[in-house]
Amino acid sequence: MKDIFIFNNGRLKRTDSTIQFIDADGKKKTIPIVQVENIHLFGEIDMNTSFLNLLTQQGVVLHTYNYYGYYSGSFIPRSKQVSGYIDVRQASHILDPQKRIFIARQFIYGAVHHMLKNIRQHKDGSEVYINTIESVRVNIENAKTIPELMGMEGNIRKIYFQSFNHMIKNEFFHFVKREKRPPKDPINALISFGNSIMYTTVLSELYKTQLNPTMSFLHEPSVKRYSLSLDLAEIFKPLIIDGLIVSLINNRVMKSNHFEYIESEICLLNDEGRKIFLKAYEEKLSKTIKHRTLKRQTSYRFLIRLECYKLIKHIIGDTTYKPLKAWW
Amino acid sequence: MFVIITYDVGEKRVGKVHKILKKYLQWTQNSVFEGEIKEGKLKECLGELMPIVNKVYDSLYVYKVSNPKNIKKIIYGVEKDFEEMFL
Repeated sequence: MKDIFIFNNGRLKRTDSTIQFIDADGKKKTIPIVQVENIHLFGEIDMNTSFLNLLTQQGVVLHTYNYYGYYSGSFIPRSKQVSGYIDVRQASHILDPQKRIFIARQFIYGAVHHMLKNIRQHKDGSEVYINTIESVRVNIENAKTIPELMGMEGNIRKIYFQSFNHMIKNEFFHFVKREKRPPKDPINALISFGNSIMYTTVLSELYKTQLNPTMSFLHEPSVKRYSLSLDLAEIFKPLIIDGLIVSLINNRVMKSNHFEYIESEICLLNDEGRKIFLKAYEEKLSKTIKHRTLKRQTSYRFLIRLECYKLIKHIIGDTTYKPLKAWW
Repeated sequence: MFVIITYDVGEKRVGKVHKILKKYLQWTQNSVFEGEIKEGKLKECLGELMPIVNKVYDSLYVYKVSNPKNIKKIIYGVEKDFEEMFL
């Protein structure tokens, strides 16, 4: 099972119950559908309903990205995993402030654990960051409201991002401050691109479970966005994306020529840069580790799904939710 | 698990077999498919194929490689269709 990324313009077609991609020059390529998990469209692609029906049949999720590589939308097969019971339970955990903050706090504990893990990998001189983060972490327990909790998380993340300069051994990727809309330097461009890919991965996994992706705990559940995927991504962003960014830069895989500037201000990854990043990302997701309770090899991608299952178990009152804390 | 499936079937059935296999694996040569596949999906694929192939005249070979790292593929000439993440 793998993801397919389409950067060229062309047409996606259904032929013989499988996927065919015809690029602008008319070159055809058949993709075995059984092996495809998600399709990501970065180029301008035409398709029709019979193709979309095929995706529904096989449960393949389609994500689209705009010109700048930001996530813009998804085509998701009619959800077969619906459960009114889970929906109601999930809502009840949001409506009760006590229950909601419990889950929200767990997400942050998971995120902070992975941030510290990243910082610790670069030993000398990192104690300052670790100590400051630890001092904020003890206060998480005392946070009474969600905004208060979000504030603490923001503080931690700020310190964490400062430690990036310590981890990255390349002046070109010097981190000044986090700028999202739009990213103005290469490091911010990398983080933004990585995060938007992470959200879609989590969303694809969420759709395979019975959770409702719009009902979130840490982020305010709102209209027009799948905020539960933002919640869960908090845990995985430092674990998967940030580690990847640091290693790509330090191993000199990501270079200055993989970025482009628009209107001399907005910094973005170009196609080549995106391909390098996505290739490394896919490799990382399919990497496996031995799970301690399941006692078998589990891929990083499956760990995301397991996180959803743990959340379900918590909201139906089976076992209390404990966030993933990488033990390896 | 990595598999290579080769088939030698009657002219009438070639198209049918090809059509089914191309849903599951990458077409590498005439009558040859290969790719990474899960055990269950392979069974599903063979289940679809079995009613079509004539067991008296036709043959279907499945080569299984449990560790994909043990494969070294050297290509002379034109490479027909290769697996790609990016298009």
